[in-house]
Amino acid sequence: MSGEDCDAFDRGDNDGQKPDKMFTLKKWNAVAMWSWDVECDTCAICRVQVMDACLRCQGESKKDSYGKQDCVVVWGECNHSFHFCCMSLWVKQNNRCPLCQQEWSIQRMGK
Amino acid sequence: MSGIAKTPVLAEEGGNNQTRKRSLQTSEQCNNKRTKSDEMSANEKKSNFSMLTPNSNGSIKMTSSSMNKPGAATKKLVIKNFKSKPNLPENYQETTWSKLREAVIAIQTSKAIAYSLEELYQAVENMCSHKMASQLYVNLTNLVEAHVKANIEQFLSESMDRQVFLKRMDDCWRAHCRQMIMIRSIFLYLDRTYVLQNPSIHSIWDMGLDLFRHHIAMNTLVQTRTVDGLLTLIERERGGDAVDISLLKSLLRMLSDLQIYQDAFEHKFLQATERLYAAEGQRLMRELAVPQYLAHVEKRLREENERLLHYLDPSTKWQLIHTIERQLLSEHLTGILGKGLESLMDGPRLADLTTLYTLFSRVKDGLTELCNHFNAYIKKKGRTIVIEPERDKTMVAELLEFKEQLDHVVNTCFQRNDKFLYSMREAFEYFINQRQNKPAELIAKFVDVKLRAGNKEATEEELERLLDKIMVLFRFIHGKDVFEAFYKKDLAKRLLVGKSASVDAEKSMLSKLKQECGGGFTCKLEGMFKDMELSKDINITYKQHLAATSEGGGLELSVYILTMGFWPTYGAVDVRLPATLTRQQDHFSKFYLAKHSGRKLQWQPTLGHCVLRAHFAQGNKELQVSLFQALCLLLFNDGDNLSFEDIKAATNIEEGELRRTLQSLACGKARVLSKAPRGREVHDSDHFSFNADFTNKLFRIKINQIQMKETSEEQKATEERVFQDRQYQIDAAIVRVMKMRKALSHNLLISELYNQLKFPVKPADLKKRIESLIDRDYMERDKDNPNQYNYVA
Repeated sequence: MSGEDCDAFDRGDNDGQKPDKMFTLKKWNAVAMWSWDVECDTCAICRVQVMDACLRCQGESKKDSYGKQDCVVVWGECNHSFHFCCMSLWVKQNNRCPLCQQEWSIQRMGK
Repeated sequence: MSGIAKTPVLAEEGGNNQTRKRSLQTSEQCNNKRTKSDEMSANEKKSNFSMLTPNSNGSIKMTSSSMNKPGAATKKLVIKNFKSKPNLPENYQETTWSKLREAVIAIQTSKAIAYSLEELYQAVENMCSHKMASQLYVNLTNLVEAHVKANIEQFLSESMDRQVFLKRMDDCWRAHCRQMIMIRSIFLYLDRTYVLQNPSIHSIWDMGLDLFRHHIAMNTLVQTRTVDGLLTLIERERGGDAVDISLLKSLLRMLSDLQIYQDAFEHKFLQATERLYAAEGQRLMRELAVPQYLAHVEKRLREENERLLHYLDPSTKWQLIHTIERQLLSEHLTGILGKGLESLMDGPRLADLTTLYTLFSRVKDGLTELCNHFNAYIKKKGRTIVIEPERDKTMVAELLEFKEQLDHVVNTCFQRNDKFLYSMREAFEYFINQRQNKPAELIAKFVDVKLRAGNKEATEEELERLLDKIMVLFRFIHGKDVFEAFYKKDLAKRLLVGKSASVDAEKSMLSKLKQECGGGFTCKLEGMFKDMELSKDINITYKQHLAATSEGGGLELSVYILTMGFWPTYGAVDVRLPATLTRQQDHFSKFYLAKHSGRKLQWQPTLGHCVLRAHFAQGNKELQVSLFQALCLLLFNDGDNLSFEDIKAATNIEEGELRRTLQSLACGKARVLSKAPRGREVHDSDHFSFNADFTNKLFRIKINQIQMKETSEEQKATEERVFQDRQYQIDAAIVRVMKMRKALSHNLLISELYNQLKFPVKPADLKKRIESLIDRDYMERDKDNPNQYNYVA
């Protein structure tokens, strides 16, 4: 059944203006939610969900024109993730991942 | 002589009457002191005057001697004493007095005076010059006394008509005054010299008054008759009869001139007033409706004020008005309010309420009582609006109207009295929170309706004003989080479906909420707006990207990227999309994630919308449909007659959702599909086919989705979410308190929590949270005292 469907739509896409097509899709307004691609959704340092700003940022209620982008997430080589704000304070004391004690080095930053 | 001796004491008493009364009320000791000091001051006065007298005597002598000098001058200036003083005739005093006596009697009997007034005046002056003043004064006093005494007879006769009596009394008084003026004119020289030099002696006028008081007015029978007569007259006037006001006025003037107004009249008058109005108050409270009663009280007060103006002594004013206010108002405060406030407010009868306010503001505790009843009224009426589920539909509108009406009443009738404004706020806050959650929810929905597109009933300014009013209601609500949850859900709908009437109105509402509850309350709502703007930018760059890579085909894709956490949570739904759509979707995902590393996208098919071009026998149409509707319709490109099961298998849409979707396409207003067998409900065995004969006069047709009955699930979900959020707030509050106090008994902790938490909580919920925190080692029970908690750091 689904195979048939795909076939039909493929054809529809190729020659959409064919008069025998009863319905053609013209416009599609889709909706998607984004979230950080993390394994654990709370920051182990401040115990706040990584989707929310870290405690420090919430307290200062920092807000530039892009809401929370100043409180992004950072991933280490160990694949553990934290608020960037929390982690940059943490590494001043101890340059290890608080969860696995590996040497901390940044794998990537949220953006 | 005895009359004269008494007079200073009498005058003293009259003058000090008021101070005495007051001091009597405070204490007797004080009273004794006062009288002593009074005596002292009287002595001092006397001595002062006696010190003055020799001086003035001396000056008179001086002038008389200097007058004699020029007559005695000859060539040789020798000054000799008179050998003998010029002598007065032997019987000078007797003859002159008899002349004067004759004149006085003539005046008293209203006859012509035989001598010229000048001659009489001269006679008096001469007698005074020859040191006969004191004898003259005594004679005159005796003469007047005799006349006054004679006058009493006419008032003592039995069975005299009151009216006639009063008339006669008035005549007698007027005659007495007239005579005394005349007599005083003749004896003016006596008044100016002898009397002035002797402070213990009354002036002729006062002597006349004193005699009149002593012999006529103080006569018990006469006084009782006069006062009773006056009271009857006043009572008749109060009853509405026309009476001789000038007579009343004259007699009352008499009483106050004689300084017996307070003792003889005022007390009895006030008693009579009190009796009258006590009875009237009781009777009219039973008989009249409240507005009429108030009007009557107002009329009475006006009348009594006129009475004061016309004939009563002004000194009575305070007591008289106070008596009336007490009897007509103070006694009936709760009666009036209980009987009438509700109907007056319901009207609202503004004029009557104004009267009520002004009258009540006159008496002690009047406004407090009024305010209390006003408060109770609001609470009662408000509760009926809020509490009944049948009135939910109109609740917010009714509340707005109610508030406006009350504002109007307070502004126009209650003079914007702060006490009333505060009381109104307190009452609103009380009743609106009588029912949990629902008012907050309905206010949020009310705002949604107003902000939705297609609401053209109001201009922007009107909408702005309305929002302001709603904010006033919002302020009273304790469970603001409930409002936020529902508001957020509706805002999401408005933004995603593009149904918002105006961005300005949305922003203005947002700033109002921010002002009211702070940035924390609105930061997620603001984030939603930000997401919408960011999505716009992303779609533009995506389009440019497509143009550059020549991908995409005929389908125009735009995506709203929402930040998780800002928006309400929508369940993850897995539906089967046609390959074209999946490819487009993946393409976009790749584009987006390349731009934003570390993110993941979760598609929300429930929120998607499409425009479909359809070919009917009658011509082409454009259909605005939801993604689910589009998915169903697209199936008919290949098979004409599809069963419910077929469609379900092909799209993988959840059964209930699919049933509603098909219902909207085949049973709604625009039936682009035909269903067999026909019917309103969609059953598992139904078959659907393309309705080629579909006609509609419009080119673009919007096929509405059938809304799930929101009341049941969605609403419960929202409430559940609110409750979840509250648990965190409770936890935080408990930890805050415990961290500060270190150790605290259960009851104290609970009461602290009730102070901190802004939403209603049940003690059982608090207990649950405490247990949970103990489990998580935030705190512990004291080992010795199970009712005590210790904070665990």
